[in-house]
Amino acid sequence: MDARHVTPPRPHLNLPSELSHPLPMNRRTFLTQLAATAAAASLPAHLRAAETTRVVSLPKGKAEHCIFIWLGGGLSQIDTFDPKRRGSSKAKPSLPGTDYDLVDTAVPGVRFTEPLAKSARLAEQITAVRTVRHNIGEHGLATNFIHTGRAVSGSITYPSFGSIIAHERGAIDEKVPAYLLIGYPNVSRGPGFLGPRHGYIYLTDTETGPVGFSPVERISAERAARRQSVLQPLQDHAEAGLADYAEVQREALRLAGPGFMRNFRLDEEPAALRQAYGGEFGQRCLLSRRLVQSGVRFIEVSHNLNFINGAGWDTHNAGHQNQYGLVQELDSAFSTLIRDLESKRLLDKTLIVIGTEFGRPGKFDAGGGRGHQPESFSLILAGGGLKHRGAYGTTDDLSAKIVEQPVSVPDFHATIHAALGIDPTKNLGAGSRPVPITDGGKPIAALFG
Amino acid sequence: MVLFRHPVPAALMLALAGFAALRASPAVSAAPVRVEICEQDIPRNGDWAAADVRATEAYDEDAFGLFELPHKYIATGVRADRAFPTLVRATARISLPAGKHRLLLRSRGPARLFVGGTQVLETPLDQPRIYTTLRAVGGEVLFNEQDNYLNLGPDFRLAPPGNRETWSTVVFSGAPVDVRLETLVGNLEPKSKTPFRPELGETVVAVSLEGSDRWSLLSPGSRSIPYTDKGWAAYEAERRSRLAALNQAARVARRGEHAAYWQRRRDAGAAWLAATKAEPVPSLPPGFPAHNPIDHFISARIAAVAEDYAPAKVQAGVDFHRDIRPILEAQCFNCHQGAKVKGGLRLDLREHALRGGTGDGPAIVPFKPEASALLQRVTTTDAEDLMPAKSDPLPARDVALLRRWIAEGAPWPEFARQSLELTGLADDLTFLRRVTLDTVGVVPDEREIADFLGDRSPERRTRVIDRLLQDPRWADSWMGYWLDVLAENPNLINPTRNNTGPFRWWLHESLLDNKPLDLFATELIRMEGSASFGGPAGFGVASQNDVPAAAKAVIIGTTFLGVEMKCARCHDSPSHVSKQSELFSLAAMLDRKPVKVPMTSSVPMDHLTAGGRLPLIEVTLPPGSQVAPAWPFAQYCDEATVAALVEQPENHRDQVAALITAPQNERFAQVMANRIWERFMNRGIVESPGDWEKSAVSHPELLRWLGRELVRSGYDMKALTRLILTSHAYQRAVDPKLPATSPLFTAPAPRRIGAEQLVDSLFAATGKPFDVEPVNIDLDSARPMNVSLDLGIATRSWMLASTSNERDRPSLALPRNQVISEVLEVFGWRAERPDGVGGMRRVESNVLQPALLANGTMMMWLVRLSEDHGLTSVVLEDQPLEQLIDRLYLRLLTRRPTAAERARCVGILQPGYAQRVIRNPPPPAPPGPHVRPKYVAWSNHMSSEANVARVEQAAAARRGDAPSPRLDDAWRQRFEDVLWALLNAPEWTHVM
Repeated sequence: MDARHVTPPRPHLNLPSELSHPLPMNRRTFLTQLAATAAAASLPAHLRAAETTRVVSLPKGKAEHCIFIWLGGGLSQIDTFDPKRRGSSKAKPSLPGTDYDLVDTAVPGVRFTEPLAKSARLAEQITAVRTVRHNIGEHGLATNFIHTGRAVSGSITYPSFGSIIAHERGAIDEKVPAYLLIGYPNVSRGPGFLGPRHGYIYLTDTETGPVGFSPVERISAERAARRQSVLQPLQDHAEAGLADYAEVQREALRLAGPGFMRNFRLDEEPAALRQAYGGEFGQRCLLSRRLVQSGVRFIEVSHNLNFINGAGWDTHNAGHQNQYGLVQELDSAFSTLIRDLESKRLLDKTLIVIGTEFGRPGKFDAGGGRGHQPESFSLILAGGGLKHRGAYGTTDDLSAKIVEQPVSVPDFHATIHAALGIDPTKNLGAGSRPVPITDGGKPIAALFG
Repeated sequence: MVLFRHPVPAALMLALAGFAALRASPAVSAAPVRVEICEQDIPRNGDWAAADVRATEAYDEDAFGLFELPHKYIATGVRADRAFPTLVRATARISLPAGKHRLLLRSRGPARLFVGGTQVLETPLDQPRIYTTLRAVGGEVLFNEQDNYLNLGPDFRLAPPGNRETWSTVVFSGAPVDVRLETLVGNLEPKSKTPFRPELGETVVAVSLEGSDRWSLLSPGSRSIPYTDKGWAAYEAERRSRLAALNQAARVARRGEHAAYWQRRRDAGAAWLAATKAEPVPSLPPGFPAHNPIDHFISARIAAVAEDYAPAKVQAGVDFHRDIRPILEAQCFNCHQGAKVKGGLRLDLREHALRGGTGDGPAIVPFKPEASALLQRVTTTDAEDLMPAKSDPLPARDVALLRRWIAEGAPWPEFARQSLELTGLADDLTFLRRVTLDTVGVVPDEREIADFLGDRSPERRTRVIDRLLQDPRWADSWMGYWLDVLAENPNLINPTRNNTGPFRWWLHESLLDNKPLDLFATELIRMEGSASFGGPAGFGVASQNDVPAAAKAVIIGTTFLGVEMKCARCHDSPSHVSKQSELFSLAAMLDRKPVKVPMTSSVPMDHLTAGGRLPLIEVTLPPGSQVAPAWPFAQYCDEATVAALVEQPENHRDQVAALITAPQNERFAQVMANRIWERFMNRGIVESPGDWEKSAVSHPELLRWLGRELVRSGYDMKALTRLILTSHAYQRAVDPKLPATSPLFTAPAPRRIGAEQLVDSLFAATGKPFDVEPVNIDLDSARPMNVSLDLGIATRSWMLASTSNERDRPSLALPRNQVISEVLEVFGWRAERPDGVGGMRRVESNVLQPALLANGTMMMWLVRLSEDHGLTSVVLEDQPLEQLIDRLYLRLLTRRPTAAERARCVGILQPGYAQRVIRNPPPPAPPGPHVRPKYVAWSNHMSSEANVARVEQAAAARRGDAPSPRLDDAWRQRFEDVLWALLNAPEWTHVM
């Protein structure tokens, strides 16, 4: 089978995670029980933590949307969601530890750093998953891994979890696309073997609108009509074999019309709310909320505009010095997004995820910044009807090592999928090869129920 | 005599004067600049080599203006790296009038300039500062460090990124004097000793004569080459074509050194053809058209099949191809198709289905549904027995269809009931558009159309085919296909995701040279030459891959043998016969040593045995197993057969190459013939060209005949192409009702245009220049060669690559590249190619395709009549409006407008047509101050200013070029509206 000739999901072969299952009569339907004991054997040894060997119910959440905030560069967990003892980048020599003050959150015993003060007050709607780990220290590859949950294979291109969600659940309203990206297009965010239909529509800034749907130059109504007057007969005369193209052409015209495009008119929002969201990143989050309301299923919002500190979240050397402003910007946008969704009764239906390549060590580099740390870092969940607890998992005194409750990237993905009612063990068809939605991932049980 | 800007000791001045006098010669020399390349005895510590270090290669130039060396070719003509560093020495005897002239030295690497044997200039080590600061590696060079550059005259060419420069005033006596330039390419980064890319940048000596503020390249002859932006651009373009010719000649020469061996291979082919049975060409059934033997084979097959469709045999009721086969394909074929099946049961062939598998007896008993195991298996209530094994039970409707079909006797005709009528030949212009797209990758231009229509000879189609086969754009048109199949996957920065070297350049040169396909495969499998700069060694690279050789073995298997081994990376294939041991023993041959199966290429054993039904996959090589080199495919060709044919018997790779490409390996010739066939006929004789196990051969005799013709031609791709293109079968009209090309090749179905064909054609047809940034993030060569590639200036779509902006930094975007890439991608092009594609891409329509064409930036570039737009000059021509409209349709759609279309366009364009040309357009705005625009590169991308600058570049790309001031705005806009509609016509998206 030609690898690019993607077929719809097919009946699939026996797969280990299902083999382990006691095969009840309803095995063809959504699996509601999972005997994890045997499946755990498929995991690398470091993931076989005590908790994952318990028999757990496979949870199924009720979230309808997902907003995935991407902090490109590598969020410093020790300066944000997993703070430790106070350190200093300015001391000579530098003192390992958190570079900012700590604040209590709404969840007793859970603390964030001071630039996250607004989010801290909302911690009952947030879980900082502090014990995520992998072993990739390079940006491009780690970005790919966080998006796909799989190592690069050379024999298949895996889809992003955004594309998987788009594929599994589609758009809520057929008049809008299922998957929108606010950021730069790349393969890691793409649909892989699922095929272009399950890819994203994207925009690189909120001013210009989505590529392909907002005309790059203003065309008067008269000119648009003239264009259609010449195009229409060409479409009508399209021979049978070309008819499906003429059809998607009409669909594209509809999407480019006022219905869908109206979602991009942020000036319809109250000025105070726009201000609360903050700068371009905040406006992207606001746009995400509007897209959620319009029926878009999955939105990835990139926050690495580089304007605050040049480096974005890749806070080596001098890049660290302005990180405070970067975290504050995140805090404003994130907390406003939570409140805004809540006020519109959308928070329980909308899972917010904050992702990043890896974390950063508690020790400073020679330039007063921080290097890369894939061995232990934080990814954040909020809303989406989960049982939030401020934080999950424990790391050591410099958040350098995981002490308990490790979470693999497939586990994290499984949690997202389960929150959206998607069975993470379900097989997708890549040609004739069955590929489970996650690579043996299991949802974090504590967040469900 | 020489004068420095800085005080120079009087003694040196005297010495220089004497030296110049001694060397003075009355004859004005017209000898060229001699460029010598010295690879040996070059110090690696930054010191200069001895002045007389031996040259390993030499060639001539017209002037001291270098930007690229001729490539080094080894073996049969594959690109190779030179030593790191290599010294380039350019010498000439120069005559300048007496006077104090200014000399400029500019270079990418360290360089120095001697006049009359004395060093007069040396480019500073620490300039630009990117070369001395570690911050360049982190991307943290300050943006305003670019403010330091030389500006030595009103139209002086300001240094492009990444060049060192210096100047001085030098006194010339008027007598000829020897000038020597030395520079290091591929210099080593001092700390890591990793080389920089071996680039010359702009290595130039320029002169400005006393009293003048103009600069020109220093040249020994009478030729004057202004060193201005325009002058340099023209000179570079001219020298590029000369370099291409030098390179081609060098490849031919290298290949010539191996002529004796390859003649032996040709003789072996001829001997094999003589010793084996020819495939007889069937006689042509009455009433069928034929241009060549291909049509005999195809017509004979249709005639034979037609008997099965005699009215008496055609039944009403359930139609196998319409009703039953789709059920079997969707529900059963995963496990019950091809040579390796579950339970010994094949459901892809009737005789096998009647025989049944190992457990149940006959799957199908005609007329007896209840006795048919197939029906029992899909209806049982026993979960252990129920089929399909891993998905929902069959819908009742499907079960009912199967039951009825079996009750009716399970008729299973070979082909779907469809018209057996051939379409006639496509009309002339449709044929011309199709064949031009198929061979050179773009639609025909006005000249090509006029030539073809003007040729009244009955041979004109063949003449067009012959002309196109000689067109160098042939190479471009095949690039997308091979890049996909061979999974070329370079990464501009930090190779990670199964990246390869940019072996695109080897591919392109192979196609330009029309290398015989056996040589092509041999060079690829030998993986010699440059890994990072375009040799086939780049194919051997697979970053972040646990067993690169296994990844390559998979690609070699699908590409040349039609053997699919992907699954065998980790376990024996559940549905293919390929075993892990076969893949790994081939991998070991490619590695030329035993390879070990890693933990990461396996499936845990306890997984497979844990509970439930029998596992479908089997791990026969546990992790840690050592596998020795061995040829696993004796069924196609064995070692004894090719022993006498191997050129390097001790080299395992060469053994693999010979085993695959020997004439005795009929499979190779047939796989390649099938690939070429699929490309032009839109359907393979074997439908999946990379996986022969999973599809039947629709025309076995034709395939065998084509394979033998390929051998007979000396594996000449163009010879086989010519056979196919001249056939009636290729030239037939499309049947627009067909969803896919008929397996009997009665008529082609409309074929989706390839992404590169579409984009390249849109640019070619409108004449808008394909103008994007260099495909390079490291513009100033601040990063060592292992972490940054320069893929050069793209002029065709295949030359683009992913910008890999996983970092999401605006500063790392290439906005103009992105504008084109985003269109290419929605039409099926892959920015990254971590895995191979079996054959042609299969791309469905999706909403982003028309959306991007209608509203995207690329279409705006193509529609706006800017000064450099090809249609601007066309609409300025004095001609009747109807003629302009006809030309527009011909250029864009390769057809004339219908009367209604012409009338509609006239209605829009007639008003103001006579007044469309602005006779006295306002003069262009005066040029701004002579300053160097700031550039954004990896070295400075972390600065906020770099991000701001790049965002402004992206905005400029979205604004597009200004419209031509020579056209009336209102009329131009109406013309652009018509152009927009014609460029969005659905007929662009298919080849008819």
